[in-house]
Order: sequence, then C-alpha cells, then structure tokens
Amino acid sequence: MTSDRSAVVQTRDLRKEYGSTVAVDDVSLEIYDGEIFALLGPNGAGKTTAVELIQGLREPTSGEVTLFGQDLQNHLRALKDRLGVVPQSFHTFERLTVRENVALIGDLHSASSDVCEVLAELDLTEWAGERFGSLSGGYKRRTGIAMALVSEPDILFLDEPTAGLDPAARRATWEHIEGLPELGTTVVLTTHYMDEVEYLADRVALLVDGHVEAVDSVPALVDAYAGEVTVVVHLAGGEPEAELESTLESRAQAVHRREGALVGVFDDRQRAQEAYSALQDIGTHSIDLVSPGMEDVFLELAGASLAPGGELR
Amino acid sequence: MRRLYRLTVTLLRDWTRNREAVFFALLFPLILLVIFSLVFAGGSTEFDVAVQNNDIDTEGEPTALSAELVDAVEEVDPLAVHHVDANVSLEREDIEEVTGYKRVLVVPAGFGQRVRNESGRVRATVIRGTLARFNVSEAQQAEAIAGLDALGPENGTAGPARLRLLTVPDDEGSGAVGSILDSVVATFNNRAIGIEEPTATVTTEERGDAALGAVDYFLPAFIVAMVLINGVMTVPSAVADFKRDGTLKRLAATPLRKREWILANVIQQSILAVAIALVMVAVAWLLFGVTAVPGPLALCLLVLGAVAFTALGMVVGGTIRDPGSAVSLGGAIALPLLFISGVFWELDLMPPTLQRVAEFSPVTHFHRSLRELMILDSTTGVAATAAMLAALAVVFLAGAVAVTDWQEFD
Repeated sequence: MTSDRSAVVQTRDLRKEYGSTVAVDDVSLEIYDGEIFALLGPNGAGKTTAVELIQGLREPTSGEVTLFGQDLQNHLRALKDRLGVVPQSFHTFERLTVRENVALIGDLHSASSDVCEVLAELDLTEWAGERFGSLSGGYKRRTGIAMALVSEPDILFLDEPTAGLDPAARRATWEHIEGLPELGTTVVLTTHYMDEVEYLADRVALLVDGHVEAVDSVPALVDAYAGEVTVVVHLAGGEPEAELESTLESRAQAVHRREGALVGVFDDRQRAQEAYSALQDIGTHSIDLVSPGMEDVFLELAGASLAPGGELR
Repeated sequence: MRRLYRLTVTLLRDWTRNREAVFFALLFPLILLVIFSLVFAGGSTEFDVAVQNNDIDTEGEPTALSAELVDAVEEVDPLAVHHVDANVSLEREDIEEVTGYKRVLVVPAGFGQRVRNESGRVRATVIRGTLARFNVSEAQQAEAIAGLDALGPENGTAGPARLRLLTVPDDEGSGAVGSILDSVVATFNNRAIGIEEPTATVTTEERGDAALGAVDYFLPAFIVAMVLINGVMTVPSAVADFKRDGTLKRLAATPLRKREWILANVIQQSILAVAIALVMVAVAWLLFGVTAVPGPLALCLLVLGAVAFTALGMVVGGTIRDPGSAVSLGGAIALPLLFISGVFWELDLMPPTLQRVAEFSPVTHFHRSLRELMILDSTTGVAATAAMLAALAVVFLAGAVAVTDWQEFD
C-alpha cells in the first residue's frame, strides 16, 4: 500500500541502552512520505526513546537513523530544521503568550509561515494573547502542535498527543492530525490508545519491551493476528431458534451456544456480514457483529492487554 | 546571530514578566544595601578606653605631665575616654568586671618624675652628640660636658616611664586602640624632649570625590556580591528549571545551537546584572546621597564581571539537573568566594594565610578594581583585572559548552 512511496525515515538495528537496561532493541523501521505512522505500545515500551532517537534528541548506542536519505548524526542541524516536535511532557516559556511562543519556534527554524494563520488553523486565534502558563491542558497541547507546525515541517512527531485530554479535545486533535498528510506532512505519533491508532494511523508498529513485534496497516494486522469475526444472536425467548441456528451454521465455521446466545465464528468478514444480513431478514433484532481490532492484535502479540493508562494488564 | 538575538529577547521578556524573580532579584541586593548602609552610615567608630592615673600628688591631684598625657588621649576622636580611680586594684585578670571596660590605660605612679628625668637624659645626650658633630673647640666641649655632668643623677638612669594598656583576650579593638595610643605617646615624647616641630610628618590626602560616606565605600561591595550571587546561584537554578520542565528539550529539537543557548543566557543575565547594579546605585543615591557612581570604565568592568560569573553559573547549571541542587552548588561556590575576598570586610582583618588565598580569588580583584574606579577614581590594577575577567569568561563559556547536554535530557 505504501511501498511505492519514498521512505523519509529509516532506522537500522537501532539500539539504546541505559546501563544494563535496553530501552530500544534493534529497531528497524521505514516510515513513508505522507503517511500517519503510529508507534503503539504500553508505558515503558521504548516509544518515546525510539522517536527521540529519530529526532536526534538522543544518541543511539548502536544502529543508524537516516532521514530523507541523510545520516542523522552527520546532518543533525539541517535535519532538525525539517522536523516538528511535540514532546510528551511538552512545556515552553510559560510567561510568553501563545503567539510569542509559536513565533519563537518559527524564528528558530527560519520559517516564513504566517503565525496568525497557524493559530487560526488550530482554533487558537482567540487565545493568541494568553500566556502559555494560564492555558488548560488541551490548549497547551494545541499550542505545542502550533509550535511544531509553524516551521512547516516535513515530518511531525507527536508523542502521546492526546494523553490527558477530554474526549472532545481528543476528537478535535485527531481531526487536526488527520488533515496534515494532505498538507505534505508525514506524521509519526506514539500512543497507547488503540482507538487513536485505529482512527488515525495508516501503519502501525507495535512496540513491546523495546522490540518491534509487528509493522503494518491496521486491517492487515487485524487480519493477521486478531482472529475471527463473530456474530452473536441473543435469545430472549420466542425466536425461531432452529432457523437462526441453521442460518448461522450454513455460513459460519462453527456455531456454539453461550449464556442465552448463539455465537457464530467466521474467518472471513464478508461471510460474517452475509450471515448478519440473513439473520436480520428472519426478524431477529438482537444481533451483534463483533469485529476484532487492535486490542486483539495487541493481546495476541504482547500476551496481555493494555489498560487505559497505558500499563500492561 | 538572529537566533541568538531572538532567544536573548525571549529570555529577557520571560524574566521581566516573572514578578517573583524580579522582586527577589532586586530585593536581596537592596536589603543588603539598606542594612549595611544604616549600620555603617551612623558616623565614626569609637573605641572605649578607661584611664587609671596613678601619678597623683599629695593632695590627690594628677601631676602636670600625667594630666597632659591624659588630655592628649582624650583629644583623640576615635577614643571614648573613661576614668578609673587610682585606688582600684587592676592586678586581677578580670579588668572588665572590675572597671566595666575591656581596655584600661594605666599611668604609673611617678610618671611625671620619670618623664622629666628621661627628658633631661635625652636632652643631655642630644647636646653631647651635637657638640661632637659640629665644629666646637675641645675647650668649649670640655666646659659644656662638665656642666652636664654637674647635673648629676637627674641625667636619669631609671629608663622611660612605662604606661600599660590592659586588655581582655577577646577584645578585637585592642590592636587599633594600641596603635592609636602609640601615636599619642610618640607625640607626647617629642614634646617632652622639646621637639614641638616634627622632623617628618604624614598627612592623609583624600582623593576622588569629596564627602565619601560609608555607603559609598560599601557600594562596590554590594554590586560585586549581587553580580556573583546572580551569576553563580540564580543562573544555575533558572537553567535547571528550563531543563526540568522540558523547555530546553523543546528548544533543542529546533536548529538552535547549544552555544547559542548558553550565550543567550549569559547575555540576558549580564544585562540584568548591570540593570540591577544601576538600580542599586540609584537607590543608594536617592536614600543615602552616594557620590561613588560608576563611570564608563566601572560599567565596562561590571559587564566583564557579570559575563564571567554568569558563564560560571552556566557551567554549574550545565552540570546539575535539579534546580535545588543547582542553587546549593552555586551557593557553595559563591558564598566562600564572597567571604574570603574582602568584599564585606578588609582583607587585613583576616589571618595571613587566608589573605594569601584571597589573592587567588577573582572576586578579590574584581572588588578591588571596582572600588578603585568608583571610590578612588583610580585605574590602578584595573587593566589586569579586566584581562583576568575576560580570560575567565572565555574559559567558563568553553566549560559551559563542554558540560551542557544538548541530548539525553531525562
């Protein structure tokens, strides 16, 4: 799907050690021009360390990072000029206004973009004169994104861009991120939110204990690792149970009963969708088509699921 | 260059909007200024000294010569003279308990007679010497010497009258009082042997602006203290704060160079140090009427000092990550330097070993040269101090670049 695009980021056998702790373990990745690439993993998996190695904010113990075909360590300043960064623990001059902070980063990058335009794009015009320190968490993060975008970067790194935001602010942030590839910006985001990955990412790398366990698009990962699609018919009494069961059996790989429900298991989403429609035609109203997602992929590859806070459980 | 300018302006703007930082940066030196000024602006320092005159006649009155000596002691401004009765015994060790004073000048009984005898002996010795030195015939010499010999025992053989200054072990002023009394007694001796006109004198000439007061004298010290504390204690804390809250990491993700970050901080803090120094001078002028205002050369030296010590602060800030620890380390460097360098008291009051150590302290020379420029209107040693501060600035800036991390922030 993306292999015909050029790789703007390439890492080869990237490794970072802190004493006896290996934070990033032989990570080899390619991130393509114009895609939204997600690094998904639990807290402490090495996501932030990995992106900071790519940003030049950390020096690898071994391995190589190439950006736009150039070795990062040999062209560090020139390559930094092409990057936009929103760190996880983002902070800036708190007594400067939103406009002043954004303009500062623009000047440090020698950018010629219009600060007011960038602020308007992120709905920050009304807050332009407010000091950064007086903003709420959502607006602070949005200011961080504006500071990263003001230099019109070729690659934008967003480290946990929606951590700590309320649902509305998360949704608004997603919408801003979603539109960035159309402006020519490649987005690399780290997150532990499955829904964020499913909503935004063109491709995702699943990182556990510093290792990349898998890299692909969300549907491909789901197909490869998440198991079957299921159709669940809830039996309240009075339904044509035999007809329902035979309809399921004619299409499903297997059918079994579970706590007042019939469960049909499918290895093909298309067949499950057909069974779902046929069951609806019979007149049954309480039917669920349960598709696996990244959570199932994660469970399969990491052997554990992710808690909302990002911890393994 | 543009990035350096932009970041310097940003740092200045951020600082000037920090009311707490502005308040405390100005408050500390101003408190120092006002307290020291009020303590030392009250006029001359006086030393209490008690006099026990045991040279009294049969009617209990002091003899003429002992009274003359006591009068001479009373005429010295820095001495506040008190009197102790002759019948009070001072042979015990606790003179303070007996007299209420830490210093007692004891004039012995027979003082006047001894002085007269010694005076006669000295005069005769002088006459003999004079006769030998000049062309006087042998006959005339023999006649004169016979006359002097006829004066007999009054030529004096008992030696000079011995005054005693009794002090207590913890008396810090005894040295100064002893020196003053030496001077008074020397003058008294000259008069006793008939030398009213001294053969050599020392006069004190005041240089620089007239009417310098205690605040003028301490103002360079306040400025040096502020520059040092601001550079070595405040700067590391501010830098560590930027490091801790992630602001530095955000800046390092841009094309900004590490040396531009260091230089911007040094320039910003040096501008602040000079501005605060000028505020101190203005306050001292308004409240205490100081006349020791820094001229262009003093301002240049001040800038050099501010750059050197701010650069040292950047070395400390580059080494330490925690703001609290940065202040502690800065204090461990700044405070001993201040105390050992004669900023708050004269180097002469310190033990000789520490005085030698102080000569190695850049703060000693910075303070000395600023005082030369501001108080004495002299440039003695200023060029050497300026060269030393410039060299230190270069060394510390290089050190700051070496120890400041531009990667690996956590």
